[in-house]
Amino acid sequence: MKNPYEVLGVSETATDEEIKTAYRNLAKKYHPDNYYDSPLADLAEEKMKEINGAYDQICEMRRNGSRSTASSGSYGSDSSYNRTSYPDVRQYIMNGRLDDAMELLNGVPEGSRNAEWYFLMGMVFSRKGWNDQAYSYFQRAYQMEPNNTEFQAAFNSMNARRTYTNPGYQTSDSMGCSACDICTGMLCANCLCNCCGGGRGC
Amino acid sequence: MFGYIKVDQANLLGKEYEAYKGIYCSLCRQLGRDYSVLARFILSYDCTFYAMLALDLAEQPACYRQGRCRFNPLKKCAYADTETAAFSLAAALSVISAFYKLKDDLLDSPWYKRILYYLILPFFARWRRKAARRYPQIDAIVSGMMDDQQKAEHDPDCVLDMAAAPTAKMLSEMCALLTDQLPLRKGLDPDKTKRILSSTGYFIGRWIYLIDAADDLEKDQKQGQFNPFLLSGVDATAEYMEATLNHALSEALLCYGLLEKGRYHRIILNVLQDACVKTQRKIIGEVADKHAWTDADSQAPA
Repeated sequence: MKNPYEVLGVSETATDEEIKTAYRNLAKKYHPDNYYDSPLADLAEEKMKEINGAYDQICEMRRNGSRSTASSGSYGSDSSYNRTSYPDVRQYIMNGRLDDAMELLNGVPEGSRNAEWYFLMGMVFSRKGWNDQAYSYFQRAYQMEPNNTEFQAAFNSMNARRTYTNPGYQTSDSMGCSACDICTGMLCANCLCNCCGGGRGC
Repeated sequence: MFGYIKVDQANLLGKEYEAYKGIYCSLCRQLGRDYSVLARFILSYDCTFYAMLALDLAEQPACYRQGRCRFNPLKKCAYADTETAAFSLAAALSVISAFYKLKDDLLDSPWYKRILYYLILPFFARWRRKAARRYPQIDAIVSGMMDDQQKAEHDPDCVLDMAAAPTAKMLSEMCALLTDQLPLRKGLDPDKTKRILSSTGYFIGRWIYLIDAADDLEKDQKQGQFNPFLLSGVDATAEYMEATLNHALSEALLCYGLLEKGRYHRIILNVLQDACVKTQRKIIGEVADKHAWTDADSQAPA
């Protein structure tokens, strides 16, 4: 098992504040929001779990066994399929079987294609690396159901990646973020990670 | 390979720039050793980046030694010596991609350029043959990319993503190849690293294809040649191009962020985060200026 201090990139003599800052920076960098439609979503989730575990472990060690409550540690844990019209498609996407997912989606008659159909087409294209198509499908899903938090978050996240202030550009170590950013992000993440880890819209 | 993947020197530490230059000079030397002194002229920033990525992953670090440049003996170079295949892979990629690019250029160049290309083609062909004997998989990857590109451009249903896919796939496969060809540094899981590099390569390849298309937009428009931004359904505005390019670069950075940091981590980030963004802003700025001029001309009273 890796040294938790190494995982967070801090020395063992770092102050609690330094550890918290390092944790927050990493949590923002590897946030599921940034990766939910990425071909590497599972690796990002694994990385996030490792970071959460390391932070929990350090907090526990420093508080003589008392449990830290600062980390969420719950990404991708929800695996229910309520309220989805396409559980098989979501399962295929989660397992990386993009051609099968695409085949199922293409088999849906045009008249019965709902907002979720467009959203899932966007997911398939995004995981294939066809960003342009993915963007137009996410946009369509969002326009059809603007109040759906899953589609809204997907569209907003993709929009952010199309600007110079996108999450990709903030991968340097000097980046910081506020506690508020983390909380907002984690709220969204709970909704979003269901898409690849479970599949339920909020 | 088009030479868009370079470093932003202003944002690098002196020692980092020296390390990068050492890789550049070593690749130049490798081209001379493996192929010919003339092959040194096809040295590119893109293949230097590829060699740097290989050295970053390799178990054994490069050993920097002082030497002198073959072309300018007054200039000192810090060569990055390594026993790994990093430079021979990058040199093979250089000559193979240069050969196929030359063959492609022969198809759509004016007659006077074609004469020159025909004169140098035998040299390129000989280097390619030599490289392909050593690395048949690189030859298969690059020639496959050229075929796929032709198919995509002639497909009546071609969309921007389809046009960008062959270059993206080529770089994806080239990056993934590194994990098979090099002993990886401690802490890197081969399967995970392969997936990360494959995705990072895909999005860098996509960005390279799109930035080249944005750069050539005006020329292609005038000459009626294929350009993904001129496809129907694609909005050829500067804003759209910028968003598409940002998206590709952002994905590349997110994928690369999942790799455990290596010895050239800061330089690789400098390339993707600073230099590519600068290049992009410059090219998109030129496109926007031209649009502004065109709009002003069309609105001017006769």
